[in-house]
Amino acid sequence: MTITTLKAAVELRKVSRQYGAVTALDAVDLTIAPAAFTAIMGPSGSGKSTLLHCAAGLDRATGGDVIIDGVPLGGLSERDLTKLRRERVGFVFQSFNLIPALSAEQNVALPMRLAGRRPDPGQVKAMLAEVGLADRAKHRPSELSGGQQQRVAIARALVSRPAVLFADEPTGALDTKASRDVLRLLRLAVDRHVQTVVMVTHDPYAAAHADRVVFLADGRIADQTEGSVDAAEIAVRMTRLEQR
Amino acid sequence: MSLAFTMVRHRFAAFAGTFVAIALGVALVAGACTLWASSRPQVPERYNSAPVLVHSPTIGKGTDGYPDYRSWTPAEARDKADQLSTVPGVTAAIPDPTFYVQELIKNKATGDPEASRTAGHAYSSAELGGYHLTAGTPPSKPGEVVLRGSTPGGTIDVLTAAGPEHWTVTGTVDGPGFYLSDAAAMEQAGGVRVIGLTGDPQTSAITGLFFTGGDRDKLEDESVTRIRWLGAQLIIAMVTLGVFVAVFVVASTCALSAAQRRREIGLLRAVGATPGQVVRLMYAETLVVAVLGGAVGVPVGALAAPLLASPLVNAGLEPAGFAVTLQPAVLAGAFLLGVVVALAGVWSSARRSSRVPALDALRDAAVERRAMTVPRWIFGLLTAAGGAALTVALPSLPPTTQTTAALFAAMLLLVAAALLAPVVIVPLVRLVTWPWRGGATGMLVREGTLTGVRRVASTAAPVLLTVGFATLLTGTIATIEQATRIDETAKLPAIEVAAPDNTPGLSEAAVAGQPGDAPLRSEMLMTIGGTTSAYQVTGKGDAKGVILSRDLTDRPKRVDVVFRDGTTATLPVTGTHDGPAELADVPRTLLREHDPQALADAVMLNGPAHVEPGMKVLTARQYVTGLVDEEGQIIDLFLLVLISLTVGYTGLAVANTLLMATAGRRTEFRALRLAGGGTGHVLRVTTGEALLAVAAGTLLGGGVAAAALLGMRRATQEELRQSVDLVIPWGQAVPVVLICALVAVVAAGAPVFTRKQSRNGGF
Repeated sequence: MTITTLKAAVELRKVSRQYGAVTALDAVDLTIAPAAFTAIMGPSGSGKSTLLHCAAGLDRATGGDVIIDGVPLGGLSERDLTKLRRERVGFVFQSFNLIPALSAEQNVALPMRLAGRRPDPGQVKAMLAEVGLADRAKHRPSELSGGQQQRVAIARALVSRPAVLFADEPTGALDTKASRDVLRLLRLAVDRHVQTVVMVTHDPYAAAHADRVVFLADGRIADQTEGSVDAAEIAVRMTRLEQR
Repeated sequence: MSLAFTMVRHRFAAFAGTFVAIALGVALVAGACTLWASSRPQVPERYNSAPVLVHSPTIGKGTDGYPDYRSWTPAEARDKADQLSTVPGVTAAIPDPTFYVQELIKNKATGDPEASRTAGHAYSSAELGGYHLTAGTPPSKPGEVVLRGSTPGGTIDVLTAAGPEHWTVTGTVDGPGFYLSDAAAMEQAGGVRVIGLTGDPQTSAITGLFFTGGDRDKLEDESVTRIRWLGAQLIIAMVTLGVFVAVFVVASTCALSAAQRRREIGLLRAVGATPGQVVRLMYAETLVVAVLGGAVGVPVGALAAPLLASPLVNAGLEPAGFAVTLQPAVLAGAFLLGVVVALAGVWSSARRSSRVPALDALRDAAVERRAMTVPRWIFGLLTAAGGAALTVALPSLPPTTQTTAALFAAMLLLVAAALLAPVVIVPLVRLVTWPWRGGATGMLVREGTLTGVRRVASTAAPVLLTVGFATLLTGTIATIEQATRIDETAKLPAIEVAAPDNTPGLSEAAVAGQPGDAPLRSEMLMTIGGTTSAYQVTGKGDAKGVILSRDLTDRPKRVDVVFRDGTTATLPVTGTHDGPAELADVPRTLLREHDPQALADAVMLNGPAHVEPGMKVLTARQYVTGLVDEEGQIIDLFLLVLISLTVGYTGLAVANTLLMATAGRRTEFRALRLAGGGTGHVLRVTTGEALLAVAAGTLLGGGVAAAALLGMRRATQEELRQSVDLVIPWGQAVPVVLICALVAVVAAGAPVFTRKQSRNGGF
């Protein structure tokens, strides 16, 4: 455990991302500590989603280096990048997280099957039980509520024990109760399974579950908080950024 | 693989188009090829009891690649037969001369004209077929005949190459044909090409060319072979078209479904599927569908084929007695072809899908990327160029290959139009919807179409294919037909012609009394420049020696020939003609002497005709149009079959793509309902878009057809040096468009009424 705590889970070194003339990320330096819950906040268009996509290897940075679990993404081919995502990164999106044709347990087992490994049924069951859906294993996504689908997505993201789990507005499409369940699960992943979680959100209440909140504005890190900070304080800082 | 199976099971609706296209394609190919494979040459029935057939020797190969044979003279044949009868195991060696006989009833020739060319035989050859005398006595002198179904002692009127004859029936046999005494038959036939051996001949002791067992099918009658060949042409065209349309439908269905599944594929990529895994998944899914489609198609095709046997015989496309047999290899081949076709159809969309970035899972709307890609441009322009070149070359091709070439040209041009469609659709939609831009429906249709260019292109593609095919195919054939008719009648002087009346040609007696030249048609072997091959020869009254084509570069002064009766001669070359190299003219009397079987095509009359049996008098125009119409009837039948096939197939594709497109837009229509639109409103939008797609497809298909037809007319005009009328087949095109529009509107509207929420809805 001590060895992994020394190494950063994800490291961004002067990462830039340009879309034509628009600069979405402007030479961002950011180190994500392992076994911690990091929230990334910012007004619309601040580049928070781009930051997540680049950090997760979904999108390629136009400048700088992204290092996931010690592996620089710069020189990787599309195939190697896919393998890296499969083995070391988990994803939870705002919506459309599951393959409609597959049942909950098949969705959870999908990354293992794509990696060519036979899924361990016990492991998949345990993971579903952990997110409170042991009795829904055979259900298709269309037979699950939005919150349940999101919990299946979390189970799928965690089942391969990734180096880091990225969540992009995971509560954006959910009601208060379902949001609370999802955030509790993410928190639990960090506390109980020593998981690294990076979450993009615009919701101060969601961000309040994190150990650290990074504020982004105009493609740069504008502010950050360390340790437990309450939602009200985060909201105040957000408002300050938006009014700048 | 199990993942692919789950995917297919879950969203079978999306694969239904591929499934039906493959099932139909496999059924078509399985059925058509079963017919084709069943229609193999048969050992002629009249050789049933001759285990070995010795054939006269081959001399070189003709220009068509088939061997040319020389005949034995009657004397040679008798010597050869005597020699063969000493072969161990041989019971009898029987020369088999054949000749032209038709029964005359009330001075009218009866029976099939082509088959009658070989209806006459020598009495001893009845044994080769295992036929026996059942009553009376064998024929012993000229003018005596035995045949089936006639009582001994009666008489019969017949027509032979010499003219009408009156024969006495001396006996009855239990097989078909007219049997004369051996000497009389030899006299009629002139030469012999086959000697049949009965008993159990020891083949190692036979020298020269001979056929045994199933190989004896090489001696099938030419008239039967020609019928088979015609049938095979239709089958080839059907299979080509069927496979092409199947690939087209599968490709457009897969492309649409891949576009609709963009987010799902993005998600797969995000959770760790490599591009290769995405490609393999799509291939595996298609494989599952193709195997299911094949499993349905193969039995359907195998069961449908026997039902088509008698219509084909009636249409003159298969010989009488044609029976369909089960062809396991063909069925397996059709199944395999279905799989290959499906994989070929999915190839392009699988490749596109593998390049979907993982990030697409996060994009909410399936925002279409550039509708035109570089490969699309390249393939589109290449196929367009190929199709245009072939169309321009069409009139200079031999008539027999024109239909096939027109079919290929049409395919190439239509693929080009389908590939390049997105370029044209945007301006087209703007233009067509201009009057309705103010209303809500008009605006929705307009914007929906403009943002979904690829979707519209997918739905317009089958319409384009159908309209284009129907118009182009019928237009091309009709224009060429009309042009050649004008061309051929233009060459004819305003005279009357003595023409065959249900006979393969005019007998000597029929032409003898007519004022005018009656060229004889025959075949002859000539040795020119060291090679011997068969030439089509015409016996002309005014020819003094052999007249060769100007196209032959090294024309000798004298030429060695072998006539149909097996005799050889050296003849002087006395002139040249402008026709093709494989034609030659010889003196008429000389040809008649060496080919008693030769018949005349027609007599150009320069005075009043004497009516003879097996002959009728026509104007030159009637005569030529009669010849063209005979071909025309077969071509019309081909067109009808091919167009029905295309319309049926693409109607299915139109329905399928529109069903998929509307189903894929459920959320969009839900939003429209929430914004205050009723079901009527949604229906107006789907109907508008469907009609727009049909309009786009019609304009493109019609445009392609019109351009191709104009190009073809230009080329025909240059070829014939005269103006040619463009025949636009409105009668075929308009109903095809209406059918497409009806299918499209119904298919687009149907999913709106299905109240059931989509199972993968809610995303």
